[in-house]
Amino acid sequence: MRSSALIQNLRAIAGRDAVLDRPEDLMLYEYDGGVRKHKPDAVVFPQNTEQVSRIVKLAASAGIPIVPRGAGTGLSGGAIPVQGGILIAFSRMNRILEVDAENMRAVVQPGVVNQTLSDSVAHLGLYFAPDPSSQKACTIGGNVAENSGGPHTLMYGVTVNHVTGLEVVLPTGEVVQLGGKAAESAGYDLTGFFVGSEGTLGIVTAATVKLLRRPERIATLLGIFETVDDGAKTVSAITAAGITPAALEMLDGWTLQTVEAFCHAGYPLDAGAVLLIELDGLAELVEEQADVVREVCLRQHAREVRRARDETERALLWKGRKNAFGALGRVAPAYYSQDGVVPRTQIPAVLQFIGAVSKKYGLRIGNIFHAGDGNLHPLILFDPRDPKQMEMVTQAGKDILLYCINAGGSITGEHGIGIEKRDLMPYLFSDGDLSVMQSLHDAFNPKSLLNPQKIFPTTRMCMETRGPASHPVLVQEGM
Amino acid sequence: MSAAGVSLDLMRELRAICGDEYVTERTSLADQPSPDDTVDLDKSALRSSSSISVSPASAEEVVAILRLANKRALGVTPVGWAANTLWPFGPTGVLLHINRLTHVEHYDYADLTVGVGAGTTVAQLNALVGPDKLMFACDPPLPERATIGGILATAAQGPMRHGYGALRDFCIGIRFVTGDGRKAKGGGRVVKNVAGYDLTKLLIGSHGTLGVITSASFKLFPAPRQTRTFLAEFATWQEALRFRDHVLRSPLAPICLELVSPRARKLMRPEMTEDVWVVCVRGSGSDAVLTRYRKELGSAVTRELGSEKEAEIWRAIENFPMSLPRVSITVDHWCYATINVPISEVGAAIQVLEGFATADGMGLIIIGRVGVGVLLVAHLASAADLMAKVVEAMAHRISRDCSIRQHGPGKVFPLTPTHLPSSTRAVKHALDPNNVLRGRELF
Repeated sequence: MRSSALIQNLRAIAGRDAVLDRPEDLMLYEYDGGVRKHKPDAVVFPQNTEQVSRIVKLAASAGIPIVPRGAGTGLSGGAIPVQGGILIAFSRMNRILEVDAENMRAVVQPGVVNQTLSDSVAHLGLYFAPDPSSQKACTIGGNVAENSGGPHTLMYGVTVNHVTGLEVVLPTGEVVQLGGKAAESAGYDLTGFFVGSEGTLGIVTAATVKLLRRPERIATLLGIFETVDDGAKTVSAITAAGITPAALEMLDGWTLQTVEAFCHAGYPLDAGAVLLIELDGLAELVEEQADVVREVCLRQHAREVRRARDETERALLWKGRKNAFGALGRVAPAYYSQDGVVPRTQIPAVLQFIGAVSKKYGLRIGNIFHAGDGNLHPLILFDPRDPKQMEMVTQAGKDILLYCINAGGSITGEHGIGIEKRDLMPYLFSDGDLSVMQSLHDAFNPKSLLNPQKIFPTTRMCMETRGPASHPVLVQEGM
Repeated sequence: MSAAGVSLDLMRELRAICGDEYVTERTSLADQPSPDDTVDLDKSALRSSSSISVSPASAEEVVAILRLANKRALGVTPVGWAANTLWPFGPTGVLLHINRLTHVEHYDYADLTVGVGAGTTVAQLNALVGPDKLMFACDPPLPERATIGGILATAAQGPMRHGYGALRDFCIGIRFVTGDGRKAKGGGRVVKNVAGYDLTKLLIGSHGTLGVITSASFKLFPAPRQTRTFLAEFATWQEALRFRDHVLRSPLAPICLELVSPRARKLMRPEMTEDVWVVCVRGSGSDAVLTRYRKELGSAVTRELGSEKEAEIWRAIENFPMSLPRVSITVDHWCYATINVPISEVGAAIQVLEGFATADGMGLIIIGRVGVGVLLVAHLASAADLMAKVVEAMAHRISRDCSIRQHGPGKVFPLTPTHLPSSTRAVKHALDPNNVLRGRELF
């Protein structure tokens, strides 16, 4: 695959210093934030849309796969070049092309780092709402491809709710403009359809994103509970009180201790669980809601409810949450993070199930997740040098995701399917559902040269294991 | 297909699918029963040239109908209770009514989610969730007639679009049958879900050209415990938009932020004679929060409405598009369009429209979600091709981000400058390769 002619052609397009092909260089691009690996045959760093288009045309004419990559922080293997080929790295397309404060929009290249965008518009009192834990490193292009979320998506939605326009290079090399700065466009919502398509329909070379105004008041509360169950039940109790917090995160007791040792965020070391609850908006409203949330927590047996007194304390509480994955990495050689979703009323039950899975396989599992929208992130600790553990981790992850499906949920809330969960897709979607998605895939990417072997299952599952939702459902015919 | 062309074989096959009483020949929409006969509709707007009307009771029956349509090369138009009567019904073979798809798939009130059949009306859905102090946050015209399938297909909206977002923001799952008769789903029933392609986005606003929506799931919202509407009146739209900017830059987060032109106001409230532009701000919250609204909005507010008076004005705004067919009998031509622009270009759009209104001697009829750049514009005019001229003028004055969708009598106007024919056709072909679903009208 790695012919000298190909490398020469890539250099002719992007520049001599914009192509990597030495094995020691390629090793740096064989992985993402997950556990799978595969080396590309070449890495190219385009600087503009026209170069991307020419690279795609070159690859199409040679029948070579292409995989787009942002910062490589993804957790589902979306940027792993499983068939080798050309990896397009967007680190040199990292300019904010326009900030339109009047329309509350920014037009950015795909390599712009998520946090950088918010920092760049902070002086205007604006920010970009999707805030994955990796926001200091992850890119807008990656966020768009995976439809990324973050803690504050509970109130503000995931990436697709914040993208109004895209510039896309199709697998033919054609450059197309979808949507624009207006909140809505006529015609099919191809912008919405392309977001979250994991780079399998086209390569995003620019995105028009919404910017939000910073809220007048923010209240960050820490509800401290003796048991995980009490904390879990409080999640739906807050919602039932008519309050949608900006963020509602949960950390279990073991995770708290591990994170505290690393971050010194001020988390209690002896608690069973904490809820990190953030409210934002009009000052009067936030104060009222903070009182209600405090009351609900205490009614659900919270031992204590603390409130960050200033921005420094708030930042510290969030530092613990956002660096938790790294903290857990200190206590085990590796961890495997899952991304299942359940209806939020099912959180107490699913946490009990995760506890049972931990015992069944003898694996430590920490829980730190977006409780408000039922998006779980069980972190399974393991040693990848032990093949038996690797096998058990995979099975434990699958057990948890199948539980989520049977509880009426999903296998991913924000990480995407990638290669990691593609073979679980038939548990969630019927053959008919998948065939419709495949038709749409083939309409844009018929030869599957663009990010091949992602999203779609490589095998068909044993159908009889699929079952109906097992949690109580009110069914009412003919209303 | 003409009435004479309806073959007995076809009728027999459709009756075998849906049952004798649910297949009828030469039915116009105007003859269909209404879910609420108190709704005053101009039924002349509902005439359809369809020669067969069929009402399936399940997704499986929809599959069978569409497979038959593909086999026999029939056109199919999906339709609910025809609340969106301003959307023109073109010539077609089979009118597929979704009205019997009214099942509740799930209602998880503690999770704030619900899933219902596509024939469920917005009013029925709100009646289901209302007792739990929840609401469905889309307020299209005629909620007693507007079906879930219909509002999704047309990406319908109402004034709450400002505060709660568009349907694409809170529809979490969709089930549909593709034009070639395959059952499919996108999303699911949880509020956060990125598994697979987001087919909900494709189906919303596709006007029944890609598939027949059979059910959908939504996020619900807590119903506001208390609301107030603040009205601010201005002599010019420029002043009104300055007030809009003031609201948008304030910390307030109103549920609705609507501009009403003087002529639109008179249409809705004939007793109102002053030529003023009105900005309506609807806030929700405790007494303290509403007090803050008063402080932030300041002296520009001339009236404050609560309870029945408040409900009345918002009903009038929601149903504004439906008042146009009645008015139209007094003029030679009328047209009605939805215009989407970046919020900074709302003024430029009004300026273009104002030029036409002045030249025509007619008032400018506009209401709009000016905080999100959506204008509903009606013209009662002497020129039949007025909207074409408006679009041409806008193309010169407004950025490429502007899009216009014409409703009302006549054909669907060519959609948008940012439209992408090749990709649009690729999607259409993938889901409806034989162009069975309304394709003859759009492509």
